[in-house]
Amino acid sequence: MSKGRNRQFPDPPPEVTYSPDSRMRQPLQLGQDMWRDLLASRELAWRLLVRDLSSQYRQSFLGIFWAFVPPLVAGLGFTVASQSNVLNIGETDIPYPAYVMFSMALWQTFTESLVGPVQAVIAAKPMLARINFPREALILSQLGQVGFNFAIKLLLIVALFLWFQIPVTWTVLLAPVALIHLVALGTAFGLLLAPLGTLYEDVSRGLALLLSAWLVITPVIYPTPKTGLFAMAVRWNPVTPLLVTIRELATTGVLSEPMQFWAASLLALVGLGASWLVYRLAMPFVIERISA
Amino acid sequence: MIDLNVTSPTSLPQSESDTVLVVEGISKKFCRSLKQSMFYGLQDMGAELTGRRQAEFKLRPKEFWALQDISFTLQRGEAIGLVGANGSGKTTLLRMISGLIRPDTGSIWVKGRVAPLIALGAGFSPILTGRENIYANMSILGLSTQEIEARFEQVVAFAEIDEAIDAPVQSYSSGMAARLGFACAIHTDPDVLLIDEVLAVGDARFRSKCERRLAELLQNGTSFVLVSHFFQGILNTCQKGLYLSKGQLVACGSAREIMDRYEEELFSVRQTATRFPFYFPVKSEAKPEAKPVAEQAQPDATNRTGAELVSLHFEDAAGQLVESPVSGEPLSICVRCRGSRAIGALSLFVAIYLPAKDNSLMLHLSSAYDQETFAVTAGDYELRVKLPHLGLLPAAYTLSVYLKDGSLYVLDAYESIRFSVTGKEKLNRGQYYQPHNWQISPAADL
Repeated sequence: MSKGRNRQFPDPPPEVTYSPDSRMRQPLQLGQDMWRDLLASRELAWRLLVRDLSSQYRQSFLGIFWAFVPPLVAGLGFTVASQSNVLNIGETDIPYPAYVMFSMALWQTFTESLVGPVQAVIAAKPMLARINFPREALILSQLGQVGFNFAIKLLLIVALFLWFQIPVTWTVLLAPVALIHLVALGTAFGLLLAPLGTLYEDVSRGLALLLSAWLVITPVIYPTPKTGLFAMAVRWNPVTPLLVTIRELATTGVLSEPMQFWAASLLALVGLGASWLVYRLAMPFVIERISA
Repeated sequence: MIDLNVTSPTSLPQSESDTVLVVEGISKKFCRSLKQSMFYGLQDMGAELTGRRQAEFKLRPKEFWALQDISFTLQRGEAIGLVGANGSGKTTLLRMISGLIRPDTGSIWVKGRVAPLIALGAGFSPILTGRENIYANMSILGLSTQEIEARFEQVVAFAEIDEAIDAPVQSYSSGMAARLGFACAIHTDPDVLLIDEVLAVGDARFRSKCERRLAELLQNGTSFVLVSHFFQGILNTCQKGLYLSKGQLVACGSAREIMDRYEEELFSVRQTATRFPFYFPVKSEAKPEAKPVAEQAQPDATNRTGAELVSLHFEDAAGQLVESPVSGEPLSICVRCRGSRAIGALSLFVAIYLPAKDNSLMLHLSSAYDQETFAVTAGDYELRVKLPHLGLLPAAYTLSVYLKDGSLYVLDAYESIRFSVTGKEKLNRGQYYQPHNWQISPAADL
């Protein structure tokens, strides 16, 4: 180390004040801080992503195989069930095996983006309790993982489309936008639950239960029902329009529920902002309680 | 609260730009019940989110003050040491300064990058190689990739990892991993470094290297806040000390004074200081002694042995009674005893222990081993051992004294008399006081 400090950035060191007053009282300052931390956390998020992915895959013999397996197994299972008439499923726009596997991959992406923040925060407990790094980095890195896993699943989806010779329209180019909304919705829920989940184990346990119930009212293994009480539940499920729209954009290009899609998207994006705020404000109190 | 002569944050002593940390009246509440604690956590979150949260001076049920009304400032290039028993709030204070938890009252103002040397190797993944972990760890500590690359070589060299850098960290010895963690943390070039008893990393050689590096950082203007149970360590680095006790700042001043006070209170010497001359308790005929003796006392090892201890005191060179001996000065330890029969080889054993260092034996004096025994008839005697220079350093000690016939037969004994040694000058590096003087003369023959 040479004399004097070898700083890469010449700007004056930042000043911070910690006080007991709620940060909600200075919304402008809070907004600036959130934006600054989001930018500051990009590089760390990348590092964490690289760290997590490489240690994940280095410890695994089958590697990315695990990203394919769940939708494949689900697809095969339901296809067999439906062909043997154990399961009575209505007509789907595309061949049923492709329908199930594609939908399953999307649903999985949603659940990953929901469970991800909770798990990431719990896993990072020791780090969180000792080092004050931008908490946004954990979430960004988690989103990176969701993206990475989806990219692998995309291979499966492309293979499916080729195998079943499913026609696609130009609207497939818009599908990623809808997918981002789906991930945003999941992350919004996840962020909201993350602080609570770090304090109470009940959250993680409840989440598994909640997700299996949620899958039932989401048109993943069956096409959207049109009538009946069950149809109501499916209709009011915010995941439905997002998932259905992605599927339609990628295949027929004809949207069946554009209004609901925008309503769900609005919920997802506004919810994401709100959850971020909650997450950010709540974390110091969680950290205080996990390692007193 | 004691009036502290700490620089008040409102009247900065030096130019304001030199202040890196201002802690003003901060307090923190903790809760002893886990369930309750988590519930309060939820309450606090709710208050924060609805904007109601503000400084709170009242405790809720089952809460206590982990820290209360602490204020101090830290200048650039200054080191401040925190001392206090376990649970006195030192770590909580560090955690608040690093922004991990928010104060319940007061405020903390920090300028620049704060690096905690609290968690070494935070975020280390055992699967990944040392190289990958350096990037991850330093990134968590707040460095950009560019900055990490600029420091990478230094970190590896400092940690002495060499070719193992591309091996997974789980194949490292615990010392290697700790060295790597320390190297990462210390190369982040912080403005304020928070050190929480982590310097016990690696072997002695590595430790001294760490100390050198810390000294370098201190010279380059990094400020330190450090917690240590090691008296020596804190003295070497700090100019200023804060003494915390049960969350309160009980004293603040020069590191030396604070350490002395802490040491004294830790071993509660101040409260139970022995008055000299110390009179040994008179033993009744029937009851065995109140104070058990370590020596396998013979069945009749009470006053039936024929001699007993009466009193003990210290005298200086002029024969004056001394309450607390002075390091380096002449001293006599005088023990009076009463014999009820003639004793062929009366001898005195004196053992002095240092409670601060695992109660280790600091000094053992025995007239019998020195071939100095005394043949006496019944009567009162004063045995004294003259020390031309007291070699003990200033500290709190305990003294045990044994009166024997020959070198084995215990006539009477008493253990753990507390006393403290003071020093004329503030010296307590090293192990003992060495009488010495300095000279200089021209060396014409060179």
